[in-house]
Amino acid sequence: MTNADTVAELRFEPPAPGYWERDPVHFPRPMTRYWQEVHPAAFARGTGDFARFYGMLMGSLASAYVHGFGYRSMVPVADEEVPARFERATEVMQGKLWREQLRDWDERVKPESIRAHQAVQSVDPAVLSDQELVEYLTRCRDHHAAMIAQHMRYTASAVVPTGDFLAHVGDWTDVPPAELLGLMRGTAPVSAGASAELERLIAALEADARARELLASGDDPAQVLTELRALDGEAGEAVSGYLDLVGYRLLDGFDISEPYALAMPDALVRAIQIAVAGRDLEGADVEAAVADIRGKVPEQHRAEFDELLGEARLTYRLRDERGVFSDIWASGLMRRAVLEGGRRVAERGLIHEPVHLIDAGFDEMCSLVADGSGPSADELAARATERTTRDPKAAPRSLGDPPPPPPDASGLPPDVARLMRATGIALGHLFGSSEAEHDEEVLRGLAASPGIYEGPARLIAGPSEFDRIVTGDVLVTQSTTEAFNILLPLLGAIVTDSGGLLSHSAIVAREYGIPGVVGTREATGRIGDGVRVRVDGDAGEVTVVE
Amino acid sequence: MTGAPVDALQRVPLFADLNQREVKQIARLFKQRTFPAGETVVQEGSGGAAFYVIESGEATVFVAGKEYSTLGPGDYFGEIALIDEGARLATITATSELGCYGVTFWDFRPLVESNGVIGWKLLQSLARMYREARAG
Amino acid sequence: MKGTVPLVKAHETALYGSKAVGLGQAIRDGLPVPPGFALSGAIVEAVAAGNDRAIKQVAKTARPLGGPLAVRSSAVDEDGAEASFAGQHLTLLNVPSSEHLGAALSEIWWSANSDSAISYRQRVGLFTRPSVGVVVQALLDPESAGVMFTRNPINGADERMIEASWGLGEAVVAGQVIPDSYRIHRSGEVLQRTPGFKKIAIRTLPEGGTFEQEVPPELVEQLCLDDGQLAELNGLADRCEQIYGPARDIEWAFADGKLHLLQCRAVTRSGS
Repeated sequence: MTNADTVAELRFEPPAPGYWERDPVHFPRPMTRYWQEVHPAAFARGTGDFARFYGMLMGSLASAYVHGFGYRSMVPVADEEVPARFERATEVMQGKLWREQLRDWDERVKPESIRAHQAVQSVDPAVLSDQELVEYLTRCRDHHAAMIAQHMRYTASAVVPTGDFLAHVGDWTDVPPAELLGLMRGTAPVSAGASAELERLIAALEADARARELLASGDDPAQVLTELRALDGEAGEAVSGYLDLVGYRLLDGFDISEPYALAMPDALVRAIQIAVAGRDLEGADVEAAVADIRGKVPEQHRAEFDELLGEARLTYRLRDERGVFSDIWASGLMRRAVLEGGRRVAERGLIHEPVHLIDAGFDEMCSLVADGSGPSADELAARATERTTRDPKAAPRSLGDPPPPPPDASGLPPDVARLMRATGIALGHLFGSSEAEHDEEVLRGLAASPGIYEGPARLIAGPSEFDRIVTGDVLVTQSTTEAFNILLPLLGAIVTDSGGLLSHSAIVAREYGIPGVVGTREATGRIGDGVRVRVDGDAGEVTVVE
Repeated sequence: MTGAPVDALQRVPLFADLNQREVKQIARLFKQRTFPAGETVVQEGSGGAAFYVIESGEATVFVAGKEYSTLGPGDYFGEIALIDEGARLATITATSELGCYGVTFWDFRPLVESNGVIGWKLLQSLARMYREARAG
Repeated sequence: MKGTVPLVKAHETALYGSKAVGLGQAIRDGLPVPPGFALSGAIVEAVAAGNDRAIKQVAKTARPLGGPLAVRSSAVDEDGAEASFAGQHLTLLNVPSSEHLGAALSEIWWSANSDSAISYRQRVGLFTRPSVGVVVQALLDPESAGVMFTRNPINGADERMIEASWGLGEAVVAGQVIPDSYRIHRSGEVLQRTPGFKKIAIRTLPEGGTFEQEVPPELVEQLCLDDGQLAELNGLADRCEQIYGPARDIEWAFADGKLHLLQCRAVTRSGS
């Protein structure tokens, strides 16, 4: 049930000046008040860290919430820092400094994080006094905030080498990016939940008939897990070790409103069953796919192909590890603490259900536990209902100013341009998957100028309509001539009905470094004026995204 | 005939404080230009290179997509481009065939730079225009 | 006033621009360029400024060509600079005769001094005043024409990429049709022949000017170049590369069964 009637009354105002974009991939639903309090500062810190490490022209990313929906905006770096950033970007690309980050992650940050999670986890909130619980809530909150920043800090190292690989191979062949991402398969066991603990668990279960019987019994999953834990010897220890590692990971999403694994025993049991049933040895398949694609790359680029693929594979597992070992775990621990608080506060008749405490802000949680003061039971219940029933379709894709045009890569030092392109492509492909939930219209044409750009389409019949173009628009027109040049500095991308790769539109799009798709035949017939489109100049595709 | 008619230029506020000889010097720099009806003469947001005085025809001025005013013979536009290389502040479209006289900033600048008097007078005009804009 | 020479005598790019000198050099090297004249940047500016003597001089110079004329910009600091200025040079195909050159040259001068030309120059780091010469030639009436890059501009592969359509090559340059797309290995092996969707052809009018002719349905998706013509184009690509170096952007036309070279310039960094 959606409260579609009241949704119509919601006004979405930009949270601050600038261009704000929704992130429906990571935040598909409204977030809790607690999350809205904690996330922005940690997010800004972590994104600022990776931008500085990689010498990006971004200062940081700001996040803000409008009616619970997450929006983000880029804060550019200060002008006076740009030269230092250029230098750093060159250093990064030449020295492959993501390897440094990867090493840091493996040798220090991940093990320390696991220890920190386990330290917080080892406290049983049920035995704490009210005052101690409030202190523990604070400890969990601080830990969560630090872990959110940590997750973001490693974003670029997960993304840049992959994006760099996609960018180069996209230039050399016409293999679609989705297929290229498949070459990373087999290098990220943690996506499937695998770890040393799981390996140990599989070995133990394979050796223990009684354990295997339990697993296959089809009994109540919570019961199955309890009994597995209670087994003697290696099996029981292995099960406990595994559950300790994954038990408090959120199964989906990032907010404390999401359940953690231990609360869904059937999911856990299924994961163990699959792992024990047989590891999917995709190694051989992947190597064949690599050889096939390598064969499509022109000979003079093959050595570079190998190098780029190597770097991408090295860092690909960071994509999942950086979440799972950071805030996905810390959020589960916070939830656990809040649920204990909720249990007590509900028992005292102050709220209707323990889970409603999830919708209190942090200070409200603490005061309700400490002395019972804070929002009423009905108020919290109403918040929970609103948050879970608000229709995401009501939230506009963007707020505030029109999107800034993509930076002019042709004026940048080559390593900086390469870094920007790698980041853009990777983020577009790795995190664009949720677009499937919208009605998609994909138009195909010739991939005239590389890059991906999203913005409002502007149908222009000729020079008399030029005044309708606003900075950041995607020009959609039959064909272009010199007369259209006056618009070029304003455009984010070019789409035409006719024309080839050597036509005026294709050449100026490449010249200006903006994505271009020409020869679509019917762009002006199929794309509505003002609708948001994504122009993929590498794939030669134009997609209506709303 | 080369250049623009002197009397057309004398009406331009930017040149209001110049004497006839000085205006003649500037007038010589102008070239005729004709825009077909419907053509965008100047695009809001894009870099500006030339200043135009209209001799014949009509043009419409749009600011942020909304119609703002119309221009006809004797009117001028784009003068800020002569001083400041920033973006055009409005979009101007020729409603009929538009006959103009135009001068680009790199024809105009050397004259101003070498003639301190003209430069000084232009600065005074700009200051006055600025004060009027702020008051209004 | 100095300022007009036959193309074959155009040597100084500082006066006539690199397109004129390029075409002049091509003629001197024996390449099949239609004959014509080069007009200097100075005389083009004088014509645009309304100088009567200059106007009369250019009309007289071009009279032997008859009409209609193809009038093309030849910007003085073009190729050699890092950007193609693609689209910054105006080509006027509808100049009925030499008496109409004055207006054409004025249009070309303003196009080189337009807002977008200036922004473009600033963007690519050129802060000098533009100077634009002009090339005047008799306009051809081709059966088919188009563009050839001697290196693939999308992926840098060492092969010729050709886009072709019926009638004047403007249809390909201005992207008014989806042209046939061909790729040829430099050995001559044809790697790709993809028919386009060539609904219109740009044709000349006897009294001057051009018009968009609707292409008969059976020709819309029929390849407009046969293997013999592709071989000729590959040969032309070879000769241009030998003379000028790799990565050439060539405009060509088949008229009266003969291959003509209309333009040959460097493919820019971003164009490749």
